[in-house]
Amino acid sequence: MRAALVFGVLSALPFGFTAAWVQNLFIFTLMYAALASAWNIVGGYSGYISLGHAAFFGVGAYAIGILFTHTSIGGGYRPFYALPLVGIGVAIGSLPVAWIAYRTRAATFAIVTITLLFVVQQLAFNLRSLTGGSQGIAIPTPSFPVATYEEPFYYAMLGILAMSMLASWSIRGSKLGLALLSIRDDEDRARGLGVQTELAKLTAFAVSCGLVAMAGGVWAYYIAFIYPQFAVDPLITIGMVLMVYLGGKGTIWGPVLGAFILVPAQQYLAYRLGASRLYLVGYSAVFLGVMLLLPRGILPSLGDRARKLRVRRVPPEPRVEEVAAS
Amino acid sequence: MAKRTKGLLAAVVAAAVVSAAFAATASSRPAAGPIKIGISLSLSGDFSDPGKAVKRGYDLWAAYVNAHGGILGRQVQLKIVDDASSPDQVVSNYQNLITRDHVDLVFGPFSSLLTGPAATVANRYHYAFLEPAGGGPKVFALKLHNLFFVQPAPVIKCGDSFVAYLKTLPSSQRPKTAAYPSLDDPFSSPIADAMQSQLQKLGVKTVFRTIYPAETTDMTPVVAKAIAKKPDMIVAGTQSEDAYGQVKALVQAKYSPKFLFFANGANSPTEFPSKVGKNNVNGIFSCSDWTPAAPTSGNKLFVAQYLKKYGGSQFDIDNNSSEAWAVGQLLQLVVEKIGSIDNQKIIDTLHKGVWPTIEGNLSWDAYGSPNGDDLLVEWVGGKLLPVFPAKVALAKPFSPKPAWGG
Amino acid sequence: MHLFVQACILGLLTGGVYALMASGLALGFGVMRVINVAQGALIILGAYLSYTLYSHLGIDPFVGLLLLTPAMFALGVLLQLVFLRPLRDEEREELSLLVTWAMALGIEGLLSVAYQTTYRSTITSYADRSWTVFGYYISVARVFAFVASFVVLGLLFAVLRYTKLGRAVRATVQNPTAARLLGVDTRMVSAVGFGLSVATASAAGAVYGIVFPFNPGSHYDLISRLLSIIVLGGLGSLGGAVVAALFMGLTEALFSAEISPTWSSFTFFIVLIAVLVVRPQGLFGARVRGAI
Repeated sequence: MRAALVFGVLSALPFGFTAAWVQNLFIFTLMYAALASAWNIVGGYSGYISLGHAAFFGVGAYAIGILFTHTSIGGGYRPFYALPLVGIGVAIGSLPVAWIAYRTRAATFAIVTITLLFVVQQLAFNLRSLTGGSQGIAIPTPSFPVATYEEPFYYAMLGILAMSMLASWSIRGSKLGLALLSIRDDEDRARGLGVQTELAKLTAFAVSCGLVAMAGGVWAYYIAFIYPQFAVDPLITIGMVLMVYLGGKGTIWGPVLGAFILVPAQQYLAYRLGASRLYLVGYSAVFLGVMLLLPRGILPSLGDRARKLRVRRVPPEPRVEEVAAS
Repeated sequence: MAKRTKGLLAAVVAAAVVSAAFAATASSRPAAGPIKIGISLSLSGDFSDPGKAVKRGYDLWAAYVNAHGGILGRQVQLKIVDDASSPDQVVSNYQNLITRDHVDLVFGPFSSLLTGPAATVANRYHYAFLEPAGGGPKVFALKLHNLFFVQPAPVIKCGDSFVAYLKTLPSSQRPKTAAYPSLDDPFSSPIADAMQSQLQKLGVKTVFRTIYPAETTDMTPVVAKAIAKKPDMIVAGTQSEDAYGQVKALVQAKYSPKFLFFANGANSPTEFPSKVGKNNVNGIFSCSDWTPAAPTSGNKLFVAQYLKKYGGSQFDIDNNSSEAWAVGQLLQLVVEKIGSIDNQKIIDTLHKGVWPTIEGNLSWDAYGSPNGDDLLVEWVGGKLLPVFPAKVALAKPFSPKPAWGG
Repeated sequence: MHLFVQACILGLLTGGVYALMASGLALGFGVMRVINVAQGALIILGAYLSYTLYSHLGIDPFVGLLLLTPAMFALGVLLQLVFLRPLRDEEREELSLLVTWAMALGIEGLLSVAYQTTYRSTITSYADRSWTVFGYYISVARVFAFVASFVVLGLLFAVLRYTKLGRAVRATVQNPTAARLLGVDTRMVSAVGFGLSVATASAAGAVYGIVFPFNPGSHYDLISRLLSIIVLGGLGSLGGAVVAALFMGLTEALFSAEISPTWSSFTFFIVLIAVLVVRPQGLFGARVRGAI
């Protein structure tokens, strides 16, 4: 199916395009695609807009950093093997946080998640002995050969994207997915009907956060410098959310499409337009445009358009009475 | 039918984006022709003001060099891109500059935060990394051989001249107690911490020490606690805003310590008096890597060129611009000495000898940390002047600090 | 003890300014069920405008307030019409967060183009003066700021209580459907209500700019505190916002003085989390089905 095609192309990509800058671009694109896809599990399926997901990205990044400074994990490929542990650890760790946050709904929930983001950032600044505070953590760079330096990171991000989409797809088709969708439609009624809403919400949140944390871990290893204001950055959340909305909230490929459009566009703008201070204004304009003009995102809107075309092509059914009368 | 179309569409869009990005490459490499220097600067975002000052310095240098025959007979072409003050972007920028645009040389960005990731990328491709503004301890901890911080001293040694000055005073005039309120940031608090350990060895008792978070806009509570034990001296590891805030809070609390030192903020010639009041500045110490009147190599030329192009007075010249000029100046010196722009030769040659620039006569250790000292500056008669060491001083240092408003 | 009382004074004065800022946010939510994440950015916009009036025209910020408020009111109405009204009712609450966040980014971007990122402060002649009362020093500027905040708040309360428009606003806050049935033009009221909330932002900004240095990026810090305050006070409750703001100001100053400045901004969050665990609707909010 199309997933195999897309992933096949992406896996072969580093061999076709060996230029470091292309692979670099793709590392960020895949990262955001994975993030957006993971966010979609909570934001798209259950309708709870979490604006604090970047906090878990940062936690994952610091987890890798701390592994370097506090244990003798060494370099090379070993940090990659630690990633699943980081993911699971953060997923479990996110449960108490989620429990508190889920005591609220809708707007308040969003506010609580924003607050969470700033709390984590503050912790990153203040827990100096653990995180290095504002001095950050510098990770010694791995000694991968220069010619293929980016490849391990590229494949790591691709792997996380695959996991993210797999999670997204399998949740969608499962009872958990149904529960989440019913929560999105009307949570109280779902609970009244016996749906295990609390369990569903917590599971979705944990899975989503675990994936986000893993992406953060790879990012940390790639950039090799972890600072609080960059690892736990509200702009990362905004990016994720915008990509999901652009591509189509609640769909499987939507978030990925959103990432593939926005990340190269943003890098291109920042690089070519030199002293562009209109960076933020541009971002906000795109965001507002998407919200107001294309609120359902690209894929659902295209789907609607395709469906309308199909309906028009099929001739109207003859009226039963007419047929019977003739 | 619709579902397959959607998926295919996604793949097609992805492929289109990729090809468009790839097709937009310009990968021509002329044999001779201009020397291309790639630079990533923070022209937007948090570091945009100092970033723009750095750009002014680089642009000024390039214009001057090109008007005077270029380097090795070749014109200099700067390719400056914006990193929006973000480490992700700075990594991508240097990747693009080196592997896509194939620039001959690179210069450093603004701030240690961005210099670290950038230098790591440059090192991977064996490019020399001359940088104007990344002098925090983390940068040298990377142990990179290709890195050269073009300033007289690493940031952490900023306060050494002040301690040296205190040592010249008879012990009855020295401060007995000190408070250390510092900003949590990679440059500021390390300075105060380094000074604190030196001062404690000198017998100055620490009565208060704190590190306040970066977003603190209200300095009143911190200052209130610092002065509670009435210290003779306040040594503050600051950047600009918090330095102004501390002075204002001290004025409001009507407390004037005998010695007052700020790592940053008090060393900006026009901003400081305008923010805290010009009657409040005298007697305050700070450190600086460069002043317009310093008798360093090529300084008069730089100041004259700067004023010609940008106007204003010499005291308006931001240190970041002089640091940027010094980077260019240093590059020209080394390239003309070895007669080539080969990066490895540049790295090897710079590690030997002493190099005269407007920032002083520079030499580095194996990891790019400069071997000199910064200047001690003090506000004397309303002007910011270097006062120590004596051979570069333009005025005599004085203490204790007069009361506020005087 | 001295330090404790000094900190209390400082905290209350700061809390008063927060109260003005938070009230605009609470009002915006009340009339439109919109969380205006751009409130922080609008406050900073107000600060910049007031700063410009002062530094270029010499108009004292408290006087400049009179000029700014109607202008920002008009801006608020405009923003509401263009960006918020098009959102469909059922999605409004959720999308408004994102739309207003985008607005905030846009405002931040425009401000950094216009004013660059250097920190500014509206430094008036009385900015550094302080009175010494019983051995405690009280900053003149902060007292003025506090008084101004409460005057504006008082005006807001008066408008809401005693004018026909104000009653219409309150009716819409309590029950939009019933209000509409009773003949209230809720669409107009929403626009006016939002305009009022942006107008308070300008007043708050003018006041903020005298006491604190600011740059375009300062809105993040502001909005995160304000959001905690209104959740603590209870979404939609103006009185709750004021009480919560004073409480937060006090707590933060005490924490900073007695324990450590490093963790002082944490106090907002800790208090918030604690309250949410026990009482998710905040101190004065009402628990509404599906829409806390």
